[in-house]
Amino acid sequence: MQSKQRAFLFMTIPAVLLFFLFHTYPLLQGVFYSFTNWRGYGDWNFVGFSNYFNVFKDMRAWSAYGFTFQFAIVSTILVNIFSLLVALGLNSNIKFQKSLRAIYFLPNILSILIVGFIFQFIFTLFLPQLAELIGVTALSTNILGSPDHAWIGVVIMAVWQAVAFNTILYLAGLQTVPADVYEAASIDGANPWKRFWKITFPIIAPFFTINMVLALKSFLMVFDHIIALTGGGPGYSTESISVLIYSGGFEGGQFGYQSANAVIYFIVIVALSVFQLRILQKREVQQ
Amino acid sequence: MKKKKTNWLITSLLLIGTLLILFPLYLTINIALKTPQEMGEPLLSLPNEWRFQNFLDAIELTNFYSAFLNSFIVTFCVVVLTVLTNSLVSYAIARNMHKGFYKALFYYFVSAMFVPFPIIMLPLVRQTAVWNMDNLVGLIFLYIVFQLSFNVFIYVGYIKSIPIELEEAAVMDGASSWKIFWKVIFPLLSPMNATVAILTALYAWNDFLLPLVILTDPSDATLPLTQYIFQSEFSTNYNLAFASYLLAMLPMIIVYIVAQRWIIGNVTRGAVK
Amino acid sequence: MKRKTFLPICTGIASLMLITGCGNDSAEDGVVELELFSNKTENIPTYQKLIERFEAEHEDIRIKLYSPPDAETLLRTRLVKDDMPDMVAIGGSALYGELTKADMLVNYEGSPMLENIQPAYLDMLNELEGEEQEGIHGVPFAANANTVIYNKEKLRELGLEVPETWDEFIETLEAVKEAGEIPIYFTFQDAWTAMPAWNSIAGVLQPDQFAERKTNGETSFQESHTEVADKMQTLLDYGHDRMYGIGYDDGNREFAQGNGVFYFQGNWAVPQILTTNPELDLGVFALPVTNDPEENQLVSGVDVLLATMQDTEHPEEAEEFISFMLEEEQSEQYMSEQAAFSVLEGVLSDDPYMEGIRGKFEDGKITSFPDHFYPPGLGAENMIQEFLYSGDTQDFLKKIDREWDQIQLRF
Repeated sequence: MQSKQRAFLFMTIPAVLLFFLFHTYPLLQGVFYSFTNWRGYGDWNFVGFSNYFNVFKDMRAWSAYGFTFQFAIVSTILVNIFSLLVALGLNSNIKFQKSLRAIYFLPNILSILIVGFIFQFIFTLFLPQLAELIGVTALSTNILGSPDHAWIGVVIMAVWQAVAFNTILYLAGLQTVPADVYEAASIDGANPWKRFWKITFPIIAPFFTINMVLALKSFLMVFDHIIALTGGGPGYSTESISVLIYSGGFEGGQFGYQSANAVIYFIVIVALSVFQLRILQKREVQQ
Repeated sequence: MKKKKTNWLITSLLLIGTLLILFPLYLTINIALKTPQEMGEPLLSLPNEWRFQNFLDAIELTNFYSAFLNSFIVTFCVVVLTVLTNSLVSYAIARNMHKGFYKALFYYFVSAMFVPFPIIMLPLVRQTAVWNMDNLVGLIFLYIVFQLSFNVFIYVGYIKSIPIELEEAAVMDGASSWKIFWKVIFPLLSPMNATVAILTALYAWNDFLLPLVILTDPSDATLPLTQYIFQSEFSTNYNLAFASYLLAMLPMIIVYIVAQRWIIGNVTRGAVK
Repeated sequence: MKRKTFLPICTGIASLMLITGCGNDSAEDGVVELELFSNKTENIPTYQKLIERFEAEHEDIRIKLYSPPDAETLLRTRLVKDDMPDMVAIGGSALYGELTKADMLVNYEGSPMLENIQPAYLDMLNELEGEEQEGIHGVPFAANANTVIYNKEKLRELGLEVPETWDEFIETLEAVKEAGEIPIYFTFQDAWTAMPAWNSIAGVLQPDQFAERKTNGETSFQESHTEVADKMQTLLDYGHDRMYGIGYDDGNREFAQGNGVFYFQGNWAVPQILTTNPELDLGVFALPVTNDPEENQLVSGVDVLLATMQDTEHPEEAEEFISFMLEEEQSEQYMSEQAAFSVLEGVLSDDPYMEGIRGKFEDGKITSFPDHFYPPGLGAENMIQEFLYSGDTQDFLKKIDREWDQIQLRF
């Protein structure tokens, strides 16, 4: 029994140590630095909470939070709508089911950065050329060049890439719906719309929860998309929080200040995740 | 069960939808095969002549083989070590959840899922450099550690569903915990291992942020990072750039075409669990 | 079975990399490897040629050139890692000031390498280093000029001449517009491409010692930059439909292909334009910011300075490389290939493309880049880019004032 316990300890202790070293320790350091005015090199002083107060006065930080949330919420909703639709389609009686499924999953295996470069080209050169060819001058400008609309370009690319994974999750959920439930319903004469809301959706509700949480969380971290498409511009209109912390922390020499920003971001994410799980789980129970 | 008839309306809608998916790839291949002079013509038109020279140029300019090897080593080591270590840790936790220490460990690992990467990014960049880990080895360690949270979460749930009676027989035979894990539990975890391996491979292969901030020596660059570094040298030679993008995506696409059924099947199965 | 073979292979690879990873920073067989970090991408081919020649002459020294995109951010990442390259080739801007203030560069004051360099450029470095810092920590190598590039052939066809005053410039732009050509080919998708115009205008119009006085709260953008902002807006009327959707590289190509009569870029863009279209007949001039030709100065600065990091293990070899670059043959090749200006005293560019600004150099009508003195992380280019789009002058000036003050609080 003793040796068994020792074996279990040996199985976990190295992992715990590594995890602490590479994850928890930097996290604590980050919190520590957030109370200093460190540039990333050289001398530093404690500055108390002043970094935190300054973040709240920082228009660039506000704009980053605004953009990130706008982008994440819109993308999450769109991704879930499209992937649910595609999954329902793939789950019905269609031809070429396996091949279609393979194609719809394809974007998920590609590097976001490279996909971003390709979309950058599409928005900058291809779409304007196409618009000119078919004579729609309204579309001939690059949407990535407009501070008001550039975020839409980022959403389009993000949705294109992310629908794949969520589709597979929904498809997995739909396959847990037993076929005889449908048959019973169609005998009752329920129309497809009703059938979806009354039968299918409640069964896949847990997948809906997971998908919403996962998609929102990954979109709140958005980084590669921005670097590839806009670099945060025009102005700061598409600068996400991750990009701001990266570029402000290194380029601006604001290591301590951006650490404070990151701590705030951390708190926001935790609060949001808890809130989201509560709401969605309540829904599930009600259904 | 009666065989229902094919729904052609949905089939054709889905077929049209695939155009949206495939179009960017078509454009990529098309441009990668053209000459810079042909860029003046409509972008959708097929190349007059397939120009494979672009690929050779891209391979030389971006040091493709070295970047490919770096990506491959990182992905391979991360996948193997992640599956082995993360399942082992999860096994120890899952079988001892009634003990306070292991329960605390479980919550410690899982709660890290809520920590956004940017907060540890700045200190990590400095710390890995101080430890001489700002290279591929450090990268491998970081991927394994960062995956732990999510993997412990799913492995523990799965292991708990394995009846403990299976192990008890082995205990009677005097097998150690290690042996039980390798001989009994690990094989039973195969479906989960496959799911974890696929997701880990995709993450490690395609990730850009971690190599960007962690790696110092340019010769350590992975494939996505290489595409970024050479942006400025591609300049407006889109043909060269797209040939390079295509090369960078190709290994994964080939693996996918060969193994797509297995990949999707395992991701789906993982999701249901 | 499989996993039993996997594990040793993997640990094997990992330990191999650990071993090589630890041993790779110094040389094998007495060959010294120096990393040269450069923040410009236009001059990569020229550097490569010069490095090749250097390596042929010095068999025991290898130079590794690294010039990634967004180089300043990456260099600062390296700063945080406390793992710097051996040498840097950067511009005479805020980054240089920061590196010297952190005491990271080798002091070259009194070195023979600095002897022939025009005092004006050494003064610029001095100013960037701040008052407390003694010495000169970099060797100026090439100077740049913030100009307006123009398509000579087109201007001639339209029967127009190079303007000497602001009003003449606007009249010229009007005439070009009426003739149905694009007057100015802007490329605002890359934020920094708004800076050549901004620097030209602010360089002439802003009060002396603006940056220092702004930091001390004695002046502000709102007080002193209204005219600068208004003139920027005026220029926008002569842009084109796609000016916000196109970036620097594509802009160079378009201008080379004959789109646009004027192009707001410095000499650094000329080589790339000529690569696309070697036939293009182009010229440059300094933007006439005011109506008094006497007041209109050329904005010029240190485009490349070569500096050695104090932590390098091979300072002598680094110095050898810098001296090599300063030799006439290398220097001349660099200047002509990059359409750059020598910083050496009495050496005037005989590049025909640069004829339009030779007079400014001869008369010493030179002023430095205003944005080289803005605090790091200000992001002036992003705010200017946004302002060009929105057109709200007061809002913009207030924002940039506020951001400047905020940044002071973060250190």
